[in-house]
Amino acid sequence: MNRTLRLIPHLIAIFVRTKFEYPGAMLLAWFSQATSYGAMYTAIALIVTRFGMLGGWTWSEMALLLSFHLLAYSTGASFSFTQFRVMEDMVRLGTMDAVLVKPISPWTYLVFSGLNIGYTGHIILAVGLMAWSVTQIDLAWSLPVALFFLATLVSGALVVCALMTMIGATALVWVRSRHLYSIFFGFWELARYPITIFPVPIQLMLITIVPLGFISTVPVAVLLGKPVPLLGDWAGLACLLAGPIMVLIAMLHWRWCLRNYQGAGG
Amino acid sequence: MSAIISASNVTKTFRQTKRLPGLGGAMASLFSRQFTEVHAVADISFAIAAGEAVGYLGPNGAGKSTMIKMMTGILVPSGGSLSVLGREPHSHRMTNAAEIGVVFGQRSQLWWDLPVRDSFALHRHIYDIPQARFADNLAFLATMLAMTDYLDRPVRQLSLGQRMRAEIAMALLHDPKILFLDEPTIGLDVVAKDAVRKFLAQINRERGTTIILTTHDLQDIEEICPRLIMVDDGRLLFDGELPRLRAALGSRRRLRLEFGSDPGPISLTTARLVIDEGLAKHFLLDSETTSILDVLTELGSGYDLKDVALEEPAIEEVIRTFYQQKPNLVTAP
Repeated sequence: MNRTLRLIPHLIAIFVRTKFEYPGAMLLAWFSQATSYGAMYTAIALIVTRFGMLGGWTWSEMALLLSFHLLAYSTGASFSFTQFRVMEDMVRLGTMDAVLVKPISPWTYLVFSGLNIGYTGHIILAVGLMAWSVTQIDLAWSLPVALFFLATLVSGALVVCALMTMIGATALVWVRSRHLYSIFFGFWELARYPITIFPVPIQLMLITIVPLGFISTVPVAVLLGKPVPLLGDWAGLACLLAGPIMVLIAMLHWRWCLRNYQGAGG
Repeated sequence: MSAIISASNVTKTFRQTKRLPGLGGAMASLFSRQFTEVHAVADISFAIAAGEAVGYLGPNGAGKSTMIKMMTGILVPSGGSLSVLGREPHSHRMTNAAEIGVVFGQRSQLWWDLPVRDSFALHRHIYDIPQARFADNLAFLATMLAMTDYLDRPVRQLSLGQRMRAEIAMALLHDPKILFLDEPTIGLDVVAKDAVRKFLAQINRERGTTIILTTHDLQDIEEICPRLIMVDDGRLLFDGELPRLRAALGSRRRLRLEFGSDPGPISLTTARLVIDEGLAKHFLLDSETTSILDVLTELGSGYDLKDVALEEPAIEEVIRTFYQQKPNLVTAP
């Protein structure tokens, strides 16, 4: 365990070095990602301000929701998305075998040797939008509220990382699992909006099978004192538990897939 | 000497979807999936002692890579028992990995965009190699494999031969007890192949590193591995030394006698005349126990003998004959 912890900075450092081999491309990616999200948020802002509210949420509240969504996602995805998106290719081309012959947990190796600093643009935009939105809404700040804010952000990031891990791990057994990202990003888009605007079946899916409601709409609704359908008063606790529970499920799934890994050739 | 790798009735079975022909078959398989079992490794047993160099040989799909993957802990055997350095490789994968080195001929473990030295440095941290030992090993390997000139060059700028030497060096930096090589000379030119073979033979001889090598290049076997394990369709066909394989197949040595003047017809009991070119006569030695001395003694001194050449059958010829005949199992000594 100690050896693994000592190794993590070296894994991160070598990946960052590879990114700095192409500094122009890296900066351009940061800029383009931030611009893309900025344009999308501007469109949402225009719609909400035009109609006054969306599902009972003002633009300032929506801005908090969007920033929470982006920050939880980009934090979780920086530890998982690009790493597990290529898992299908790693299995197909046999490069996963080279990871499995190292004296280190393959999950740790993959996650930290691919820690994606490309999400810096997302994080800068999310923090900026969040800072603006909290000055615009009447949030009763206290230590428990601040701790809940931070804990649910971490929990949301864990949900993202756990789901990405599970999709990647599935490739170890099915070889192809990339199509599952379409389902992930479908629900991820829905999680940008107040959960109350959706019909009950989608609300149910956002807090159970694809629990991306916990990365944004549910915790922000709890923070703002808005009603959360299906969960009611349990919504706050559910937000805190969602991340750890999903991590546990992802760990079991990862181990099962690793044990049943067959390779894809040779 | 006790075995450091021991396989006892090891099997590996893959479950594969049965593909039905045509578009109709593809549609039908959506609703009713049928499976077939592929026995990649079937009931294989062998033992390898410390310091051995063993060639694991077989045609495509024979189960070579599957066996290597089980020995390195990547795959879990479906049956039988497998022990590497006294432990089950898949259930002690990380402990096992710390004591072995693995080189995949077609999959790089180096960081493509970074200098070779950076991959080596990360390897030092992953394997927790003390700095002094790392420096010594790096100096030794860089010299032996003539890598000093390109240690600071990005991997993407290296030739295939240079990259393979770097892969082998990296696999040896932590002093593994066993080195597994999966087709290490594939795609290399003649000079690079020669360098890799000579180095591996030296490492095995001088450092006592056990080598398990899969290859399609029989010259690799001849130059590195005294012992040969041959498989086909997942089954063990032969386990032993190359001369034993030659003997088992009845592969015959060829003797060429060259005379100063035509001696006329020669008939011997120790060798059979197959080609008569007048001044040069070619004989086959049917028995492994017959020596040149036996033939020359029988020939006597009444001939104007100028030169004698004994030719062992080429390994390619032996292996080709072996697979064509598909003989019954030849047991290990």
